[in-house]
Amino acid sequence: MWADTLLILFISICTALLGEGLTWLMVYRTEKFQKLKAEVERQSKKLEKRKEAHGDSLDKQHKKKIEREEEKLKNNNRDLSLVKMKSMFTIGFTFTALLSMFNSIFDGRVVARLPFVPVSWIHGLSHRNLSGDDYTECSFIFLYILCTMSIRQNIQKMLGFAPSRTASKQSGSIFGPPPQQFK
Amino acid sequence: MTSKSKSFEKNGSTVKPHAVDSVWNRAFTCNSEWPDKEEFLDVIYWFRQALGIIIGLLWGLIPLKGFIALLLFVLVNAGLVYMYFTNFQGVDEEEYGGAWELTKEGFMTSFAGFLMTWIIIYSGLHFE
Repeated sequence: MWADTLLILFISICTALLGEGLTWLMVYRTEKFQKLKAEVERQSKKLEKRKEAHGDSLDKQHKKKIEREEEKLKNNNRDLSLVKMKSMFTIGFTFTALLSMFNSIFDGRVVARLPFVPVSWIHGLSHRNLSGDDYTECSFIFLYILCTMSIRQNIQKMLGFAPSRTASKQSGSIFGPPPQQFK
Repeated sequence: MTSKSKSFEKNGSTVKPHAVDSVWNRAFTCNSEWPDKEEFLDVIYWFRQALGIIIGLLWGLIPLKGFIALLLFVLVNAGLVYMYFTNFQGVDEEEYGGAWELTKEGFMTSFAGFLMTWIIIYSGLHFE
C-alpha cells in the first residue's frame, strides 16, 4: 500500500511539473501574455493606491476615474483569461486522459489509510470505487487531488507563475489565486 | 523567497539602508522592517507551508487521529502564524487588511500539504 502512496506522490509531482512546463511553453513565455500580465499588475497597483488615497472621499470626479480604471482592468483581465484559455483546453484534455489512465490503474485499490473518517459528502471521492464500508480507506483520486493541490500551488509560487496578490484582489477573487490544480 | 536588498538615492549617491536586509535575515529577525508588503506576505506563505508539512509529520508519527487532530492543526497553524506576525515581527495588521488577511494567507495550500504528509506518514508507519 505504501508503495502506491509514494507512487501517487511521485505522479502528482510529475504531473504538476508537466502542467507548469506545458503552460510555460504555450502561455507564460509568449510576449502577449507577459505584456498583458505586466499591464494588469501595473493597473491593479495603481487602482489600489488610488482607492487608498481617495477611499472615503465622495468626490464624483475621483469616483468616475476609479470606475474607468476598473473597467480597463476588467477588460485586460478578460484578455488575459482568453490568452490562457486556449492552452488550458489542450492541457485539460491531456490531463483528463492521464487521469483516466491512472484511475484505471488504481481502480478498486486502497492506496492509503486515512487517520480520520471524512464527512459523508467527501465519501464519493475518498472511497471512490472501493468496496466495503471502512471509510478510512483512501482511493487514488482523493490522495491525488490533495497532493496536486499542495504541490502544484507551491511549484507555481516557486517559479513565479502564480498571479500576484494585488491582481487577484482587484479581480475580485476571495480566496487568493484561482485554483488551477484540478486538471 | 528571493534575497532581495533594496537601495535608494540620497543626495545623488546610492545608499544601502541597514534595515532593508535580505528577506531570509529579516524573516528570522525580531521586529524587522517590511517596506514591501508582498515580501512579508510571501514569508507568511512559506512559513505556513513549512508548518503544514512539519505538523503533518508530527501528527503522523505520534499518531494523532480523528477530527480532533484536524482541529488541532487549524489551531496550531493559525496560532503560531498569529504569534509570529504580532509578537515576533510586531507588524501592524491593519496595513495588511487586518489579522484575518494574514491568518488566511496560504492556508488552504498549507492544509492540503498537512493532509498529504499526515496521510502518507500514517499509512506508511501504522498500516504496512
